[in-house]
Amino acid sequence: MSIKNDHKLASVEVIQKHFEERDYICNPQIATAVFLAYHLEKPVLIEGPPGVGKTELAKTAAEMLDVKCIRLQCYEGLDESKAIYEWKYGKQLLYTQVLKETLGEILEGARGLSESVAKLHEFGDIFFSEDFLEPRPLLKALKEEESCVLLIDEVDKSDHEFESLLLEMLSDFQLSIPEIGTVKARPGKKPLVFLTSNNTREISDALKRRCLHLYIPFPDAELESRIVHARVPEIPEKLRRQLVAFIQELREMDLKKVPAISETIDWARTLILLHSESLDADLVRQTLNVILKFQEDIEAVEAEIQNVTNKALKEG
Amino acid sequence: MDRTLVDFVKVLRTAEINVSPAETLDAMQAMDIVGYSDRNFLKDSLSMVLSKTPEEKEAFNSCFDRYFAFQKFKSDETEPGGDGEGPDQSDDSDFDQQADGQRQSGGKGSGQGMGQAGGSEAIDDENGLQPSSKLGKLLLSGNKTELTIAMAEAGREAEVNQIVVFTQKGLYTRKIMDAMGLKGLQDEIAELQAHGGRPQNQLSGKLKKARDRLREQVRDYVEKQFFLHADESGKQLREELLKKVKLSNLEKRNFKDVQEVVFKMAKKLIAIHSKRRKTYKRGQLDIRKTLRNNMQFDGMFFDLKWKASKVDRPKVMCICDVSGSVSNYSRFLLMFLYSLAEILPKVRSFAFSSDLGEVTRLFEQSNLEDAMARTMRDYGNGSTDYGQMLMDFKRQCMDDVNNKTTIIILGDARNNYGDPKSEILREMYDKSKRVIWLNPEPKMSWTVGDAEMKKYAPCCHQADVCNSLTHLERVVSNLLRSVA
Repeated sequence: MSIKNDHKLASVEVIQKHFEERDYICNPQIATAVFLAYHLEKPVLIEGPPGVGKTELAKTAAEMLDVKCIRLQCYEGLDESKAIYEWKYGKQLLYTQVLKETLGEILEGARGLSESVAKLHEFGDIFFSEDFLEPRPLLKALKEEESCVLLIDEVDKSDHEFESLLLEMLSDFQLSIPEIGTVKARPGKKPLVFLTSNNTREISDALKRRCLHLYIPFPDAELESRIVHARVPEIPEKLRRQLVAFIQELREMDLKKVPAISETIDWARTLILLHSESLDADLVRQTLNVILKFQEDIEAVEAEIQNVTNKALKEG
Repeated sequence: MDRTLVDFVKVLRTAEINVSPAETLDAMQAMDIVGYSDRNFLKDSLSMVLSKTPEEKEAFNSCFDRYFAFQKFKSDETEPGGDGEGPDQSDDSDFDQQADGQRQSGGKGSGQGMGQAGGSEAIDDENGLQPSSKLGKLLLSGNKTELTIAMAEAGREAEVNQIVVFTQKGLYTRKIMDAMGLKGLQDEIAELQAHGGRPQNQLSGKLKKARDRLREQVRDYVEKQFFLHADESGKQLREELLKKVKLSNLEKRNFKDVQEVVFKMAKKLIAIHSKRRKTYKRGQLDIRKTLRNNMQFDGMFFDLKWKASKVDRPKVMCICDVSGSVSNYSRFLLMFLYSLAEILPKVRSFAFSSDLGEVTRLFEQSNLEDAMARTMRDYGNGSTDYGQMLMDFKRQCMDDVNNKTTIIILGDARNNYGDPKSEILREMYDKSKRVIWLNPEPKMSWTVGDAEMKKYAPCCHQADVCNSLTHLERVVSNLLRSVA
């Protein structure tokens, strides 16, 4: 497989460096996944709690390589006509109407029904040819001139049947369209495929087998601090450390939904807007709704707020 | 290295990471690209190719660490440091440490090891004596890589990965030592001692020491192999047993294991059956089909085609006897059914010993253990009265029973000579899709004593013995097949 700017995929360290330039701080595992995906020509299935940057990884990869990112958002009921291809029915109908008039000319000189039919057969299946084909994301990714990044987002939201549809694409980088035949990726121009899943249901073994599997957990304090620094550079260092320590404490608590990295970043931005210099219990109480999304969680944390803040201040 | 990888995959499989041959091939490719120089890099890469869930990843990590532990030459070289300065004195005290450092006689890791190995050779040269047996040479050469390889080879020959029980450790240690050429070494030592001279004595002493050290290491190696191979297969054996044992004979301490087994079985069932259950959408025009179908009518939309609209929501009602004798079975049946929430979204469960009560809510809101405990507490005492149960059922929810409902009754049908009220069961039979009676007692005792199976069985579509997890699995699997 060759892709534009593939020198940026030369080794894990290089990938990490280039990601970092784009403010995506990643651990070696993530970089290894991208490295292997490219060199083994295999899709990567990314799992992990919401908000740890699964989708972001694919987007950043596309941006880094300066290639197109084609995205397919999965949802219940997604089928091949929305994911792979659709016939341009309107065009087909219009053309039939128009061609009806010229039918007489075509059939001129044909004697008898069988001869007419034979003559019509000569035209082949013009209505089911590439001209009438509306490519959807998967097919589009295969037909790209240059390699691209294909992001199949939240694959767990789709149905089981759709998963099976994906198998052909993921293992052989080809798609079968009954009326036309098999469409293959250009040699050496296979797309770099990322699938993300939030684990709302178990992905089938067949699909997993065809993918590399990357699990992105919540980052540790050090990594998170670097991420915040990259994304919200204007935040003072002291506040940053306190904030990260606080979030790390929260993740230890028994909450319905623990804050993810995206929430940490939002919170950092909020605190900047409020011109805060350091965390204190009041400030946390006022801004808690930025990081916690359930009332019961907020109530649970509010009771502990002084404690957790103190701990965070000590560590930060 | 391929061979090693295949062995490693075997280890992973015993640790319940399902690695397919295709994935093994992928792993080999990955190894080609990644190389062996960076341990963590290799580990990350293999973990991505071979383990596909967070749990599997955890298992993978521990397997990787254990499996490749004895092969970490690289890390050793930097590790010993001060250790290597005083070689001979520290040797003995090192015995119980990780064996890597002492795999050879004089040396410690190739860095400092070179010097020491050279030193000991110098002495040997002075004495003008060299060991003649193969193993002896290997031991004194200070090349621990070769020694490790020799050990692994011997291990393979002795089929150490077949080890099953702990007591076989000695046997395998011996086998491996023999395969490495212990006999030659022993002969040589004996010969040297018989000879008597000072250099000979020195050499034989050295060889003896080296031999003992080697034995220690081999034992260590066998132990590791035991934990790799046998520990997990022992677990599998236990699980197989648990599946077959009578549920009433299970002891409380096994419950946790059983629960695990049940979840595993449930997962398997989900995988088999979830594909078959299609969720159709209603009322969407299927343009493609319609157009195709109407081509023949000159492109006029004459015969509309809709996306198939079949909604089949299986309803399961589960009535469990929770009186003393049968409570264990009920417990596991409920456990099973609730583990299947993904494909059996509508399970209503009832518990009784005399009065019937619905416990659906309880199971939805709290975890299995708590729900089970509360059910037992609320309904578990009192003598069983099936007639009362059927009457309660009729009053509470006969109206909800329709031709899509499957009713499962679990109980021994021992009615304490009360009125069986089998006519109500008959009514249920007529109204529902299926009535399944699961009886934990063997068929022979179905009619003995106060058991009323004779009256109840004709009013069921299916009456089965069910007293082990395997039975349960079969029943639930059939259930899914018919509702799907």
